[in-house]
Amino acid sequence: MSAPLLDVNGLTLCVHGVANGVQLLFNVSFLVAKGERVALIGESGGGKSMSMKAVMGTLPRGVRATGGSIRFDGRELVGLSEYERDRLKGSAMALVMQDPLTSFSPLFTVETQFDDIVRSVDARRDVREPERQRRARMRAALISVQLPDPDRVLGAYPWQLSGGMRQRVLIAMALIHRPRLLIADELGSALDVTTQQEILRLLDRLVDEENLSLLLISHNLAVVRQLCQRAYVMEQGRIIDHGPVERLFADPASETTRRLIKAVPPLYGPDVRSQPDPIDAVPVVVLDRVTKLYKRSDIAAVADVSATIHRGDISGIVGESGSGKTTLARMIMGLVPPTSGQITIDPASRIQLVYQNPGSSLNPRRTISQTLDLPLRAAGVKDAAKRRARIAELLTLVELPPTMADRYPRDLSGGQKQRVAIARALAVEPQILVLDEPTSALDASVQQVIVDLLLRLHRELGLTYIFISHDLGLMRNLCNRIAVMFRGRLCEQDATERIFHEPEQLYTRILLSAVPVLTDAEEQAKPQIGAAERDSLFGTGG
Amino acid sequence: MSRNISLIVGATIAASVIGIALAAPWIAPFPNHAGGFVDFHHRHSPPGWPHLFGTDNVGRDILSRICFGYRISLLLVAVVVCLSTPVGVFLGIIAAYAGGRVETAIMRFTDIILAIPPLVMALAIGAALTPSLSSALIAIVALWWTWDARLAYRAAKSVVAEDFIEAAKLSGAGHFHMLFKEILPNCLGVILVQAAFDAGFVILFGGALSFLGLGVQPPTPDLGTMIATGARFLPEHWWEAAMPGIAILYAILGFLLIADGLRAAVDPDR
Repeated sequence: MSAPLLDVNGLTLCVHGVANGVQLLFNVSFLVAKGERVALIGESGGGKSMSMKAVMGTLPRGVRATGGSIRFDGRELVGLSEYERDRLKGSAMALVMQDPLTSFSPLFTVETQFDDIVRSVDARRDVREPERQRRARMRAALISVQLPDPDRVLGAYPWQLSGGMRQRVLIAMALIHRPRLLIADELGSALDVTTQQEILRLLDRLVDEENLSLLLISHNLAVVRQLCQRAYVMEQGRIIDHGPVERLFADPASETTRRLIKAVPPLYGPDVRSQPDPIDAVPVVVLDRVTKLYKRSDIAAVADVSATIHRGDISGIVGESGSGKTTLARMIMGLVPPTSGQITIDPASRIQLVYQNPGSSLNPRRTISQTLDLPLRAAGVKDAAKRRARIAELLTLVELPPTMADRYPRDLSGGQKQRVAIARALAVEPQILVLDEPTSALDASVQQVIVDLLLRLHRELGLTYIFISHDLGLMRNLCNRIAVMFRGRLCEQDATERIFHEPEQLYTRILLSAVPVLTDAEEQAKPQIGAAERDSLFGTGG
Repeated sequence: MSRNISLIVGATIAASVIGIALAAPWIAPFPNHAGGFVDFHHRHSPPGWPHLFGTDNVGRDILSRICFGYRISLLLVAVVVCLSTPVGVFLGIIAAYAGGRVETAIMRFTDIILAIPPLVMALAIGAALTPSLSSALIAIVALWWTWDARLAYRAAKSVVAEDFIEAAKLSGAGHFHMLFKEILPNCLGVILVQAAFDAGFVILFGGALSFLGLGVQPPTPDLGTMIATGARFLPEHWWEAAMPGIAILYAILGFLLIADGLRAAVDPDR
């Protein structure tokens, strides 16, 4: 191994100003060699971001290194003056932010914001260059991240660009000063899977071409596997496992690593956990040429969708943002009327909805029991004691202690809140549940727990699920039927196995090929898509 | 922590103002000076003993008149907080919840009322009726609700967009439950803050009305009228305008500090 570019050794971080000082990082050590790609992985709160901030020199006020060293190319960074530190930022090491929307101000054009960064980094390095030269450099940087029309991008406001384009601009911003270390924070995790895949490929190529060292911060092991050679697993401010990525996956040394591996459900292979057999062929939801047009829009949010969902199905609707899957769910719920077509729901069945984000779907000013009480009262249960008993029963059903009834949502974790949301949906004893991305707002390790709960409820209560998601790996291990939506249309629907093993439509194949996976076997089982084929569906750029 | 201090200080000041107003007949050094008392022998006395804040142009003790003047100020506050705020908040959350034509009707009507300058409205009402305390109250009530309606509408509009509103509807909640159990509690924070701000500003507005001769009529002591009268004798007899001015400042400061402290308590992120 060549000499390390970044050598973090025994780093300890503390919050000052608090009695005794709270320790954030404990003796954290990791290496990034020149030209090497290394990942810091772990769940939220594990200390990945703090480590990254310590390296970048952007620690929050009051947090200080109380021990250890950070050596960058042989130079000690701990204790370096702010001035010296700033000279490194952006030029020697650069950061690609996670969220391509909030990283920009909506008020200024891309050019203004890009130029600000170029100038401020230049100023720190005591470089001055004329505006024309800066613009030429920005254009070149944008072309290198495969934005073919840099002038249009520079003149645009951030909100006029797609998420993928914004992410590319962020990469261009990070690379313009030719840093030697690139730090990427949860790269592409806010993007659709096909866009994320393009970004990952782009970064892969750029890191090679520029001979960069890469430090990737991520919770998604499949993404890490695609980009990195070595990884460090963090938990509660400590590094608990590290090694070459292949070794970590083959032989995880810690429970956290195992949990993180489990959080990426296999796309192919034998490990199928559920997939129910339909109880009988009784159709409970029938969609007949359903179309939704919104006012002031020429494009149909949902176009000509026909499908049948049978009793006992776990029926998946998969699609990327803007594909119309949520609009379809809302029409099934009767929350928005279809513009044309017919939705028939078995009159003997009640239908309920579980939302994506339990932070928003529970009223923060009402206790859990008040939230659960409402559907019971509305259903006409007059006896307060009876309602209280039912609330306790519901909480037990979703594996929460009944003592939680008097808490407010803010006292609960994300997973617990989602359990309450599920309990609320179950209160009126529905036969059908529409689940709108019920796990995507949750931490990776909690997702699996919620999925297990949903499967148990499905079995025990004989429910029918309509499961909306963008996560193909998750759906493959859950749904017996899958419908793929693309730009408002249902482009393919069939039994899950058929969709995965013999996808017919180009979009389905692109979608499958874009999912990052954990093993070589899955990599080979995925459909292989050429760039020309992909462009034929999406068009270039974007 | 520092915000809590502003809440404590604000509450202390407001409590002292309320206490002074309630106990005016007993704590004012010269309770009889609140009325049409005249003592030309002691007119324009500077602050000192026995007239701590001095006397006015007819020799009345300014401190005593301030104690009684607070009663009028607090009456205005009470009217706004008990009448205008509930009406405005109610209209605002109904508009946000109902949407469609109801929303348009309520909010456009609010906008129209908002477009009338408050003092012009007060002048009109004062001219139509007779300039008196009650016409000042009518003017204030007729105008003040618009601010609360706007604010409650904005707050409720963002609450209505949350998933839990739809979830409650899907659970079968009635309109009453939606408005008062789901929406209102989530808007209450900003409304409380605004009510505290309102309390400060309405004192100022009442003062302005009286200053223009539209509000309380002499000899009833009112801080605005006292400033108006005292201003004629500036700068030699500065205390006649300055003392009631400071009294207004003190009361407003109390309510604004409460508002500031409440805002921090309601929204700890800021």
